[in-house]
Amino acid sequence: MTIDSQLAVEARSVEKRYGSQVALAGVDLTLKRGEALGLLGPNGAGKTTLIRILSTIARQDSGSVRVLGLDPAVGAVAIRSRIGVVPQELALYDGLTARENLNFFARMHGVGESAVSERVDWALASAGLTERANDRVVTYSGGMQRRLNIVASLLHEPELVFLDEPTVGIDPHSRNHVYEMVERLHASGVAIVYTTHQLGEVERLCDRIVILDRGRAVAGGTLSELQRRVPATGRRKLRVIADERFVEAREALTKAGIEAEIEEELPDLEAVFLTLTGRALRDGEI
Amino acid sequence: MIRAAFTVARKDLALFLRDRTALLLTFALPVVLAMIFGAALGSMGGAEGMGRVVVLVEDLDGSTQSRALVAEIAKSSGIEVKATTGARARVADGKAVAALLIPNGYETDLNSGREARLVLYRDAARTVEQQVVAGSLAPILMKLAGKQIGRSMMRKSLAAIGMDEKVGVELEKTMGDSFADGGDLMSSMPKALGLEIEDVTGTDDPAQKNAGKAHAVAGIAVMMLLFSLTAAGSTILDEEQQGTLQRLRLTPTASRALLLGKAIFTICVGLLQLVVLFAFGAIVFGLPVHKTLLALLVLSFAVASAATGLGLWLAVTCRSRKQLEGLSTLIILAMSALGGSWFPLMITPAWYQKLGHFTLNAWAMDGYHAILWYGKGLDGIVVEIGVLLAIALMLTLFALRGWNRRFEVTT
Repeated sequence: MTIDSQLAVEARSVEKRYGSQVALAGVDLTLKRGEALGLLGPNGAGKTTLIRILSTIARQDSGSVRVLGLDPAVGAVAIRSRIGVVPQELALYDGLTARENLNFFARMHGVGESAVSERVDWALASAGLTERANDRVVTYSGGMQRRLNIVASLLHEPELVFLDEPTVGIDPHSRNHVYEMVERLHASGVAIVYTTHQLGEVERLCDRIVILDRGRAVAGGTLSELQRRVPATGRRKLRVIADERFVEAREALTKAGIEAEIEEELPDLEAVFLTLTGRALRDGEI
Repeated sequence: MIRAAFTVARKDLALFLRDRTALLLTFALPVVLAMIFGAALGSMGGAEGMGRVVVLVEDLDGSTQSRALVAEIAKSSGIEVKATTGARARVADGKAVAALLIPNGYETDLNSGREARLVLYRDAARTVEQQVVAGSLAPILMKLAGKQIGRSMMRKSLAAIGMDEKVGVELEKTMGDSFADGGDLMSSMPKALGLEIEDVTGTDDPAQKNAGKAHAVAGIAVMMLLFSLTAAGSTILDEEQQGTLQRLRLTPTASRALLLGKAIFTICVGLLQLVVLFAFGAIVFGLPVHKTLLALLVLSFAVASAATGLGLWLAVTCRSRKQLEGLSTLIILAMSALGGSWFPLMITPAWYQKLGHFTLNAWAMDGYHAILWYGKGLDGIVVEIGVLLAIALMLTLFALRGWNRRFEVTT
């Protein structure tokens, strides 16, 4: 396989079985450096298995994999020092404070002793946890723990980050904060693989989408490319932008023999919630 | 790898020190158990604090000699005498362990040089107490009876050869002096027979009197160490369950550094637990830990290492904490019973002692006995330390193999 240095991930015909069960049945996947990829699929589609292989803790039965140009079979340690994996489940020490958790994970990720403090401060600020840095994690809300769970994987400034459903079970404020964290990460040039069941998240955060089903990549491309692969309903929506004369517009259409109806576009519930309660995090309030 | 291992150990220690339940189980529970076992075994190696066996005495003779016998028995440290009537029936009813019947004519028989008849009624089911009774009565009876029989025979012999009665009185006085100083057979009769007895194991050392307590502290220390270190090793399973192990596997840190870190942490906890227990033993029971501190520390390190190896091996072998708790409890209790943590192996049959030495407990207990009982130094426990370190190495290699199988990259 020719190694493309522009690719953060290159997987070809990857197969993986657990006994008689096929988890991956010849998956092809590429991810450019600095690109954000949404990995979608129903439960059991093979997303987790694929991420385990790409993050070096499982090995494919057949096919080839390159992560940041390296073969996980021989360069696992080097790959691990350059990738970050945000697990779906919270993986923190409840009995330690946020700062102690981050100090520990920074050292385990090989961050130099002189840089640990600086990186931990950055992570705390990034997660909006500076003021609660010395409180034990067990006292944190679900949203705070989620944010800490994410930054604990970013301490060593990885070039490629896997985020496995990072917003499960958190309030809109924290979710919005996570989105902003991911957007900042993406803007800084980090390649991202983002798995979720919330399709809106992928629309907002990802450049490209791959849909897995029954161990195969059944579709891939940008959102608009994927949308074009599905037959249209035949209905069209005419948007009158910031114009109060939409009644006149409808009359004009009617005169032209075009049936039209007026439907006011309202903000979704999350936007209502964030507008009414403010976008700032509310961790300190009781 | 070493730096990462110490980082893991430091983190585990911080978590451990904040867990009040773990602290209580690791330090307070063993102290309480050592106190209970120490009190129960406190008389081992010395008469102090020993529970006395009640022996009923029915004196039908009521003579000077019979009363002297009862008085002598009452002096025994192992027996408490209670005068009674209907002695046989009381033993038969289970109301007494044993009863001594002194029949009519006891004094007469003694003075005439005939065999003086005594009857001991026993409850055969209570074998341990019977040994105490027999062990206490035998020397007293031999001493008193021997004196009377000897005196009687001497009088007859002197009369037979036509010696003056005054010579006999002088001889009796000399003989009386020789028997008067000893309260027990072991110190008077053998001496008279030319057998010199010397206690060579620290008769002037309080440790000798505290042998039972030393055993209790050491036994509980080893058993509780196994429980504590298995629990410490089980943090691997906790980490697996809470996802942190997976996160750590995704770091560039060598996976073996994690296992090494766990080992460092568990050995530290084990040593800390042993230090607390032996400090308690020194303060409360007067165990001479300060005399052979180096030997005690080195042995404790070896014991903690072996127990850590076992804890880690069990932790990487078991699939869940529940499974680990069940299996480790079974193994530790069996090892403790076989290895002499509960009672000294010296009171068990030879086959039991051989079997016991397949456990690390037995080697640990041998080492602690050597230090606390016999006052041996480091050079006296080289074999025990060697065996324990070999066990530690073997179990750690098993643990590493299990770890690699379970947590290294799956193909």
